[in-house]
Amino acid sequence: MGNELLEKYVLFRHRDVEDIHKIDGYTANDGYTALKKALETMKPEDVTNVVKNAGLRGRGGAGFPAGVKWSFIPKDIFPKYIVVNADESEPGTFKDREIMTYNPHQLIEGIIMCAYAVGAETAYIYGRGEFRTLFLGRLQEAVDEAYAKGFLGKNILGSDFSMDLYLHLGAGAYICGEETALLNSLEGLMGQPRSRPPFPAVEGLYAKPTVINNVETLTNVPPIVANGADWYHQFGTERSPGTKIFSLSGRVNKPGNYELPLGTPIRYLIEECGGGVIDGKAVKGILPAGASSAIVGPEALDVTMDYEAMAAAGTMLGSASFIIMDETVDAVWAAEKNVKFFKHESCGKCSPCREGSFWLTSVYRKLREGRGSKKDVEMLETIINQMEGNCFCLLGEFTVPGVRTSLALFRDEYEALARNGDEMAQPDHNLVLAEQMLNSQSKV
Amino acid sequence: MSDNTVTLIIDGHQVTVPKGTLIVDAAKQIENEIPVFCYHTKMDPVGMCRMCLVEVGTPAINRETRQPELDEAGKPVIRFFPKPMTACTTPVSEGMVVKVDSESALEKRKGILEFLLTSHPLDCPVCDKGGECPLQDLTIRHGPGNSRFDYEDKQRFPKRYPLGDLIVLDMERCIICTRCVRFQEEIAHDPALAVENRGRRAHIVSYTDPVFDSHYSGNTADVCPVGALTTRDFRFGARSWELTNAPSVCNHCGVGCNTVLSTRTGQIKRIMPRQNEAVNEVWICDKGRFGHHFNGSPNRLTTPLVRKDGELVEASWAEALDLVGQKFAAIKEAGGANALGGIAGARLSNEDLYLFQKLFRDVIGAHNIDHRVGLSATLEDETAYTVGVGCGTDLSRTGKGAAILVIGSDLDQEAPVLYLRVAGAAAKRGARLINAGGRQTKLDAQAQTSLRYRYGTATHLALGLLASVVEQKLVDEAGIEARATGFAELKKALQNYATAKVADVTGVDAEEINAAAKAFAEADNGIIIFGLEAGNDSALRAALEALALVTGHAGEADNGLIAVLPHANSRGAADMGVVPDRLPGYAPVDGEAGLSAQEMLAGESGLKGMLIAGVDPAAESEAYQAALEGLDFLVVQELFLTETAKLADVVLPVKGAAERDGTFTNLERRVQAFDIGVPAPGLAWADWLVLVAIAGRLGAEWLYASADGVMAEITQQVPLYAGMEFENLTAPVSLERKTSHYIYEGMSFTADAREGVQWPTLAENNAEGGPKLPLRFIEPAPVAGDEDGFTLVGSRFLYDGGRLLAESQVVESRIRQPQILLSKLDAQRLGVANGDEVTVSQNGVSVALPVKINRMVAEGTAVAPRNVAGRPVEKLVGPGGVYATVKVEKT
Ligand SMILES: Cc1cc2nc3c(=O)[nH]c(=O)nc-3n(C[C@H](O)[C@H](O)[C@H](O)COP(=O)(O)O)c2cc1C
Ligand code: SF4
Ligand code: SF4
Ligand code: SF4
Ligand code: FES
Repeated sequence: MGNELLEKYVLFRHRDVEDIHKIDGYTANDGYTALKKALETMKPEDVTNVVKNAGLRGRGGAGFPAGVKWSFIPKDIFPKYIVVNADESEPGTFKDREIMTYNPHQLIEGIIMCAYAVGAETAYIYGRGEFRTLFLGRLQEAVDEAYAKGFLGKNILGSDFSMDLYLHLGAGAYICGEETALLNSLEGLMGQPRSRPPFPAVEGLYAKPTVINNVETLTNVPPIVANGADWYHQFGTERSPGTKIFSLSGRVNKPGNYELPLGTPIRYLIEECGGGVIDGKAVKGILPAGASSAIVGPEALDVTMDYEAMAAAGTMLGSASFIIMDETVDAVWAAEKNVKFFKHESCGKCSPCREGSFWLTSVYRKLREGRGSKKDVEMLETIINQMEGNCFCLLGEFTVPGVRTSLALFRDEYEALARNGDEMAQPDHNLVLAEQMLNSQSKV
Repeated sequence: MSDNTVTLIIDGHQVTVPKGTLIVDAAKQIENEIPVFCYHTKMDPVGMCRMCLVEVGTPAINRETRQPELDEAGKPVIRFFPKPMTACTTPVSEGMVVKVDSESALEKRKGILEFLLTSHPLDCPVCDKGGECPLQDLTIRHGPGNSRFDYEDKQRFPKRYPLGDLIVLDMERCIICTRCVRFQEEIAHDPALAVENRGRRAHIVSYTDPVFDSHYSGNTADVCPVGALTTRDFRFGARSWELTNAPSVCNHCGVGCNTVLSTRTGQIKRIMPRQNEAVNEVWICDKGRFGHHFNGSPNRLTTPLVRKDGELVEASWAEALDLVGQKFAAIKEAGGANALGGIAGARLSNEDLYLFQKLFRDVIGAHNIDHRVGLSATLEDETAYTVGVGCGTDLSRTGKGAAILVIGSDLDQEAPVLYLRVAGAAAKRGARLINAGGRQTKLDAQAQTSLRYRYGTATHLALGLLASVVEQKLVDEAGIEARATGFAELKKALQNYATAKVADVTGVDAEEINAAAKAFAEADNGIIIFGLEAGNDSALRAALEALALVTGHAGEADNGLIAVLPHANSRGAADMGVVPDRLPGYAPVDGEAGLSAQEMLAGESGLKGMLIAGVDPAAESEAYQAALEGLDFLVVQELFLTETAKLADVVLPVKGAAERDGTFTNLERRVQAFDIGVPAPGLAWADWLVLVAIAGRLGAEWLYASADGVMAEITQQVPLYAGMEFENLTAPVSLERKTSHYIYEGMSFTADAREGVQWPTLAENNAEGGPKLPLRFIEPAPVAGDEDGFTLVGSRFLYDGGRLLAESQVVESRIRQPQILLSKLDAQRLGVANGDEVTVSQNGVSVALPVKINRMVAEGTAVAPRNVAGRPVEKLVGPGGVYATVKVEKT
């Protein structure tokens, strides 16, 4: 049935079709026909090309064109791997979970086609530890069904193409959504990012060529292959074609996942889909990409939700997890929450992220407890300046925009808190330090 | 601009470096050093501390024309990356422009430093690293004077967290650079350390049993860029700037690692590696680092002792030496020169050993001298002289294209730093490593090929490899023509060693033999490293010598043989002719050879008097002890009152290597000088001086006044050692062979780096027209048939029961106790668990040993450490033997 902007769902087909999570339900509704088409009538590079022409962009956050990524996989190095990123750890993101729970076969079909396109024979779905029930239950059942029907395993649908698909659970770390940390974790190493280059397409899992795509990205593949690139371009904008799932949360009446064409205005998501802000309050700030995003104010409500427009508005689409703050939300509290998240999730590999997020948390606590001064507010700025551009991976960099935009948009709230601190008598820092040094030295 | 170099500009200076060089290394050519914490030149870059951030720009390329864009002045336009780059992970490229000292780059680094200091205690006044700490130096140079971080919120961690018995971690000081973790993984191949937890709670842990189980743990304290890792014995021992640093050479094994003795008020405070890329790079093992405490031991002999009424009592040097002179003269008078004999330990310096043989040969007139007791008893190691590795061999560079064949040695236990280098050549640099041995060793993990032969068949395997090289037509005809004779005869003899037959005898798969032979022969460079566990026979050495010659792996740098000999100067002892049949420099003696140590210690040797220096045969076997008790007069030069010294009539106290100067020759024939570090206790003399005094009492007029004076004579008398004057041996190393930024590499002291001098082999000389080498074939000893029982192997372990180690309390917990290592399955079959006792017997000799289950030991094999308390395994395999078939029963 779709929604007002979509005649039929492309990704959330379970909202249109009952029992699609079971293989019979899926096959009865054209499931695995795209795979059949690909295996019987298309060469591997044809599959890559149709995905490239469709302009499908990665849904994991960076928006890198999927078909282009696949074409980077070297032909002459074996084995190759497909790794599906189901870590879904960005605060406010809960779309992949819905796909895997209710429409798993469309994802599996997409994985098989991706493997066929690049010549991989092994694929892994890497899920966050919290997906345990899902991975051991419904998703594993779907994989088993696909094996039983010959969509996975040896000589798929009678072709010479064979592949295996395994599910793997991490231990629950945001950093393991970063693709190179994910690969380390999958290999049994510590979940910390690797240096790039080499890029995973050349040296990924076990140093072999590897495609890493988000769950949603690959779920787009079967309809694209079935209907063609032109069909896909009917949705979305020229450079951001297709539909996208928007996870809406925060101070709205109907939080949830909404599949909409890319390019839909934010206002539509909040008002038409989300039923507006609770108690009809005013929007104060929008975090379009969860904790990682630059916050935008209510003036951005008419910005369209596509990669280009969001970037032009000074933020990013990312994984499209829209968190809405209304006028009742304490901006410093919200920023502190974000910073605490990053402190907790910092992998500890590099000093700016490890120490910076730790320090930011310390300053935020001081401010919120009313012990902070104006100097502390300024300090926040210098800390993020010292982090920005200097971190090993994007996790550390993601800490910065939330703080920076919060400071810019809601400076008055910070300064109000700082005034309290300024009024309090400040003990001489150096004296305290000296005294404590003396105390601790006897313990050394 | 050549194809292999890149020219770039760093802070306005033009720099040309090889392609692939990292910015951080390229910058070493100019004064503006780039500070680092996590980067270490010996490890793969990880880019995690972010201290080395610099601004990097590259020439802009016009998208349409694909040509470099030029500005109005015709100069290429440089486009800078929007973010700073880590100099330690970014390779240089042509035309690159790097700004190290720009305001923005300095600002970035200052920021990183402030981050690192937020939770760092900065307790420099009580920190061992203080004074030689990169973090301290950089903080002073760039850092903010005050902390803006809220002191209350500082992350607190334990400050005394033991990582095993040797290393202590101060978690608060740790900056999580993971150099220690990576050293253990990448270089030591003992992944004993790891990071636990994440974010600010990340810290270093070790979960091995024993904790931090590695022979190389001390190096982590060196590479740690802060004072987080401290060694148990140096911790809070001295401030670095109060130390006096003397260059020395380790006296614990034949690798000859270059060390620095850091001393204060006449005591060794610590030993650290001194860079020598040709020997130990920047590493030493824990035995070398922690095994020095014997120097200051209260048990040291401090005065001569003379036996009076059955008791050893203190005497003056004059009294003791007069007695030695009188007695030796009287024995010679009564029984002839051959009534006297001497054994000198291979821990003595070349100067000592040279004078030792000179005393016997020139002054007394006997060839009854030897340095080989115990495992090396029958060693006639002439292979170093003929086909030893070529001068200039450098295992720190050995990699792709080279093959290394190790046979019969557990390098990690016997020559630890050689292990690091061989493992690194294979694992890091891509050399082909073939590890042949009777049992699994740690090196197997890095070897592409492991050849597991039955004990006693190593020679067959060597001949099998040789025959396979011939069979596969992989011989180096031209090399043989130029260097060797007798190839036709050798080929004939090898007909009996067809691969299938050798496979049958040795138990090694025929295809593996052929593949190994091929890999070794076809390699550009080939090195053979053999140890005493391969068997102590001349047939083996002849086969290996022929293998090197026939494959063309002789007479050039990075080719040839290395024998893993037991002691620090085993090589020098052979070079100096402390053997009964050869003079210094390997010339055979005129007339009849003297008695070997075996013969001298056999009883019934006809000897009446002996001089024993720096070796303790009485501890090795009861038979030796009985033989020494039967002498009329025994003189011992020693550091301690050893079992042998207890039997002596005169005991002369000598200086340890740290207390005197001299030279050692390492197993690659590199002669290396060591300096005086600390004063000797009491009245101890250097061994060479004792020998001068004894010679004087016997009527000789020796005028040596110093060790280098003795060496000056050696350079004259021993052609191999021409050019080994102290001034050559102590010449400083050229700059490109030395790390310039010591402090960042873990070496902050100022002791000289020297490279030593190698002497050339016959194979090298005959390339220049010297005599050709005969290809020898010696029939190997017949292989014993299969007997029922276990193959018991007496193996050398790093921490054995040697006296010098026993005096170093820090390593006490690591010292091997008598034990027998069995596979899990065999232990189950015998119904024993760890710690249970078994009786091990052979031919009526039986010893009881506690069991330790070990996963490296194969079924049917039992491994027991040599040279431990009571010497149980020697009782079964013999002091010079390697293995025996024994019965093992539950006691
Ligand atoms: C800190 C961090 C967390 C990330 N978490 C996720 C995640 O949970 N799921 C995901 O699909 N991609 C995540 N990514 C993006 C991945 O690194 C990668 O770009 C993506 O999986 C590629 O797939 P796509 O091209 O299909 O988007 C994360 C990136 C960063 C830097
Ligand atoms: S920025 Fe650094 S500490 Fe943070 S997650 Fe990435 S690598 Fe780890
Ligand atoms: S202990 Fe030292 S070497 Fe190891 S991670 Fe910490 S700072 Fe680095
Ligand atoms: S490897 Fe040998 S020479 Fe080097 S430090 Fe260890 S014991 Fe000494
Ligand atoms: S990041 Fe370059 S030295 Fe640590």
